[in-house]
Amino acid sequence: MSDKKNNVILEEYENEFSYKKSKTNLNIEFNRIAFIFFVFLIISIIYSIQLLHLGSLKKITNNIKPIITKKNYRADIIDRNGNYLVKTVDSINIGIHPLKVIDKKHLLLMLNHIYENKNLSRIKKKLDQDKFFYLEKNIRPKRYEELMMLGDKSISSEANLIRLYPQDNLFSHIIGQIDNDNNGISGIEKSFDEELKKINEPLKLTVDVDIQFLIREELLRFQKIFEAKGSAAILMNINNGEILSMVSLPDFNLNKRETIEDVNYINRITKGTYELGSVFKTFTVASGINEGLIEPDTEFFDSKKSISCGKNHKIEEYDNKMPSDLTVEQILIKSGNIGSVRIARKVGVERHKSFLQTIGILDKIDFDIEEVGKPQSIDWYEGCKLETIAFGHGITTTILQLAKGYSIITNGGYDIKPTLIKKNLHKKDKRKKVLKNGVSEKMNPILRKVVSEGTAKLVNVEGYQVGGKTGTAEQVNNSIYSNTKINTLASIFPTENPKYVLVVMLESTKNNKEYIYEYRDGSGFKLKGSPRNTAGWTSVEAAGKIIDKIGPILATKYIEN
Amino acid sequence: MKKVVFVIIFVSILGTSLVKNSTKEIEDKILMVNERITSLKSELGDVLLEYNYLSSPDKLTQYQTQYFEKDLIKIDITKIKKLVEKNNHIKISDFIVRANDE
Repeated sequence: MSDKKNNVILEEYENEFSYKKSKTNLNIEFNRIAFIFFVFLIISIIYSIQLLHLGSLKKITNNIKPIITKKNYRADIIDRNGNYLVKTVDSINIGIHPLKVIDKKHLLLMLNHIYENKNLSRIKKKLDQDKFFYLEKNIRPKRYEELMMLGDKSISSEANLIRLYPQDNLFSHIIGQIDNDNNGISGIEKSFDEELKKINEPLKLTVDVDIQFLIREELLRFQKIFEAKGSAAILMNINNGEILSMVSLPDFNLNKRETIEDVNYINRITKGTYELGSVFKTFTVASGINEGLIEPDTEFFDSKKSISCGKNHKIEEYDNKMPSDLTVEQILIKSGNIGSVRIARKVGVERHKSFLQTIGILDKIDFDIEEVGKPQSIDWYEGCKLETIAFGHGITTTILQLAKGYSIITNGGYDIKPTLIKKNLHKKDKRKKVLKNGVSEKMNPILRKVVSEGTAKLVNVEGYQVGGKTGTAEQVNNSIYSNTKINTLASIFPTENPKYVLVVMLESTKNNKEYIYEYRDGSGFKLKGSPRNTAGWTSVEAAGKIIDKIGPILATKYIEN
Repeated sequence: MKKVVFVIIFVSILGTSLVKNSTKEIEDKILMVNERITSLKSELGDVLLEYNYLSSPDKLTQYQTQYFEKDLIKIDITKIKKLVEKNNHIKISDFIVRANDE
């Protein structure tokens, strides 16, 4: 029974198997093929979508051929108001392959049509030489279009970048130059070489084109009037060290890309170190006040007209009419040498040296450009160094450091770092106080009196409360004092709440017999010809005219700053 | 059940490719806009350069000498007044405040 049953099942199975096997196999194969086709279909859809997409992307990117490449890119430089000082612009060089020229006569005829005023005989000669040559470099797009319209295969173009300086000479000492390999070789171009190659946004400077122009114009005028060998002026914000203008003459046109080797083209603000004379008396008085040893009304009695120090050194007053009894304030107003020496002796070598170091006069300054001079090192215990330094002799520094020193003395005693780079206002550094309280409050009125009553009356521009100190020094040539003068005025304004320091220096000036001085005391008095070749009659007059011109801009444009 | 899974996978693949494609299209548009901005920026830079050159103090001084020599006069800053409006009243004061010693 059981065998029989088994047989039946086997038969049924065989039957079912033969029928189902055939049907199932067919289905599986069909599904597999369909699935494979489906997968292929999906892949091909995705692929074609991608292909279409990539095609469209390629089409877009093909249309854009950026001329600027990382290799030769340099960021632009702008002033504090966004005016271009330096701009990199696209340019094209056009060359000709003479071997590819089909019809030389026709080509010359066409070129003659484009270059109406150009002598084409030189081009004809070059065409005959069969060597590639540049037809024109740095052409503008319009000329490029005209040349390409000729459709001559021998004409080839080469994308190029050029650095333009729209202000020509105006910022030559600040901006500096680049070499043919796109590397900065002086000024900001050198010290910010890496940054300029990396940053996408323009580098913003603290300078103001309008102010720079006005100061340069006046300096050029007075350099001519007093036949000066060179001149310099710096205008700086005394509270944050931002330099609004820095002019050194003679300067040079950056667009000409000349190699400057003449030492007279030195940056007189940062590189040239000078003995600046009586402008240092301000530091001597400030040093005494900072140490608490003197007050503006402290009296010095019985000062002699000359004193001896060291072995055979004699220090004299420049003016024999100098009173022998003077207060500290009067010493500065009348620019007394002996009075300054007595103050310095009271302060002492170490304390005065430390004071000058604190306000940044003695050491090489850390600045935004590399052309920085190093003040001559001083042996403070040799001869009568302290005494001569008291009135600004036997000590050298740069005009930039002088401006920094005057800033610290008059801004409440806060240290500043002179800068040419406009920084983000939100990143305000905490100011460090380096002088004692009250120094500025005592110094500013004295500096004001030097202008209103003393040696700098010609800079007493109405409305600006100018304060300052003059300095006339004999120029040192090869360690010997010469007859040529370095005439300097260091001024601050307005003295009630000082905002700016302006230093004007004229080098190697001469008297002018024709120049007419207009007194600023309200008398309307005019004087023809310079009475003396001193700062009071040269740099001070120049500074007065500069403030006349820039004052309204500073008073209106920067009223909130 | 198999059919549902199959349809889901199919729809997902198709959907993903469509979404991806539209994303790429948007990316293309962004790229195009960015490139246009870059070229416009460059154009603006050139125009600004021209403007800076033509309105530079040097040029303006030239124009002044050439065209307005007698028309432009210098105004004394001490004579400029400041108008301040407060509660419908206008207060006139000196623009430059003089110190006691002036």
